[in-house]
Amino acid sequence: MSAPSWKKCLLVFVVGMSMVIVAFPFYWMLLTAFTEKSFIFRPPISIIHFNFSLQNFRELILGTEFLVYLKNSLIAASGAIVLNVFAATLAGYGLSRFRFWGKNTFIQATLFTYMFPPMLMAIPMYIIFATLGMRNSYIALILAHMSISLPLNIWIMWQYFQIVPVSLEEAAWVSGSSKFRTLIEICLPSAMPGIISVAVFAFSLSWNDFAFAFILQTDQAMFTLPVGLSTFVERTAIHWGMIMSSSALVSIPTFALVFFMQKYLMRGLGIARS
Amino acid sequence: MIEAGNRYERMRWVGGSILPALILLVAIVFLPIIYAVTLSFFDKSAFNPEMTWVGLKNFAWLLNDPDLWLSFGRSTFFTLGTVSMQLAWGLFFGLLLNRAMHGQGIFRSLVILPYLLPTIVVGLLFKWMLNPEYGIVNQVLMDIGLIDLPINFLGSLNGAMFSLIGVTVWQYGSFAALMILARLQSINPRLYEAAKVSGAGPLQCFWDVTLPNLRTTLLMLALLRGIWMFNKFDIIFLTTGGGPLQATETLPLYAYRLAFEDFDFGRAAAACTIMFAVLVVGSIFYFWKFDPSREVEVGR
Repeated sequence: MSAPSWKKCLLVFVVGMSMVIVAFPFYWMLLTAFTEKSFIFRPPISIIHFNFSLQNFRELILGTEFLVYLKNSLIAASGAIVLNVFAATLAGYGLSRFRFWGKNTFIQATLFTYMFPPMLMAIPMYIIFATLGMRNSYIALILAHMSISLPLNIWIMWQYFQIVPVSLEEAAWVSGSSKFRTLIEICLPSAMPGIISVAVFAFSLSWNDFAFAFILQTDQAMFTLPVGLSTFVERTAIHWGMIMSSSALVSIPTFALVFFMQKYLMRGLGIARS
Repeated sequence: MIEAGNRYERMRWVGGSILPALILLVAIVFLPIIYAVTLSFFDKSAFNPEMTWVGLKNFAWLLNDPDLWLSFGRSTFFTLGTVSMQLAWGLFFGLLLNRAMHGQGIFRSLVILPYLLPTIVVGLLFKWMLNPEYGIVNQVLMDIGLIDLPINFLGSLNGAMFSLIGVTVWQYGSFAALMILARLQSINPRLYEAAKVSGAGPLQCFWDVTLPNLRTTLLMLALLRGIWMFNKFDIIFLTTGGGPLQATETLPLYAYRLAFEDFDFGRAAAACTIMFAVLVVGSIFYFWKFDPSREVEVGR
């Protein structure tokens, strides 16, 4: 074999192997999810097998509180989206359009809070919300989720409004439009991509959160999906097929995000948090 | 900047736009942290809701508790291990994805995927794959003949920490890969041409052109990742739960145990304060080195 083709073979091998390491867990999750229970617990399992069954999903939907967890997760995420979009868009507008006392401190404090890990805030929040009688409530969970997403989102909107030219607004004022109407009619539409990324981050941080929901929601009827799923390991006598089918369902937003927004992600993910 | 309008109107606008975010940030971020720091000077448990001032007693107790130092050491080990491996993983995949090849889009999406996966999914998935009885990893290793008996990856005293680091790198390595890829694509190709003209081989190109250009990105990644990995809770709790026998109990899990197993909130708050102090040191260094608030571009 000549030198270049030998090199090419090696490259293909390295690329292939590394992609297997990245991709295999996904494959295994989906394969297990669609495999019958009795088949899974009869080792050895072959890496490639075809035993298509929806039994796991059926048991998951009918036999567990999966739908309750889903509802709780969706409520928390929607609340986080609405509040984040509202507060972050306004703050981004104010930060990019006005000069005021303490502005730099505000921006730096926002960036600083963006580094705070959930655990640091979850323990004090648990005590505060317990004192206020707000544990196991949606509003407490939404507020907790905002503590990790809002700093990042303020930053995103501040950045975004900086590239929306002020001249458009000025032209509107000259023609007699009020400042408020200008904000709604001129500014917000041109800041739409920023607002969408705020909504996406707010959703994914809320959807993915385990620490806050696990500590604040002690009532099973208030569990979100991550907390509910974490109890499956003990409660279902390790029914791995069902656990993998629930994992696959919880990952759907991730897959959707990557496939619909691939180009956008490559640009915007730059400042996403851990 | 908008300078038009009178002073009062401007003030109303500033107030109206900044206040909602400011109030929220104060209420849900600053108050809990301040409360935690305050609480660390008090005696408070779930059974005794009264708060009594005890001064530095909680800290004295913690500093005398060998578990604190052990968990601090484990946090440091976990941080160094995962951060260095994430950088290596990121460098490898960054360089790989930077090459023009067929199916580039699919490969890139694939590499991003683990990072966006909910942590609960990563935790459950690896618990299943690394399972000693039915796990596929053990089975494949035994089929190839590398091992004779299954390895209890997440449940053995010596192996749990390393398995945990492996899982964490699989999940978060792609963040580093993305950052490094973005930086690689902004390197002027002429630099490589110039290096090649003056006779540099691929290895020397990497050493003299690629690495110096990546230095800032790598340092930034190491710092940011370091701060987050030191305080990582969810993936550790979900895969090993700090076990076996506290072999993977890092500082956040230690704080969790103090609060929700010992129900000693004063001590837990003191542990949180120690975590916070480490975070402050790390972020002061980060702000001093990068001052991200000056940057205008989205993405850093």
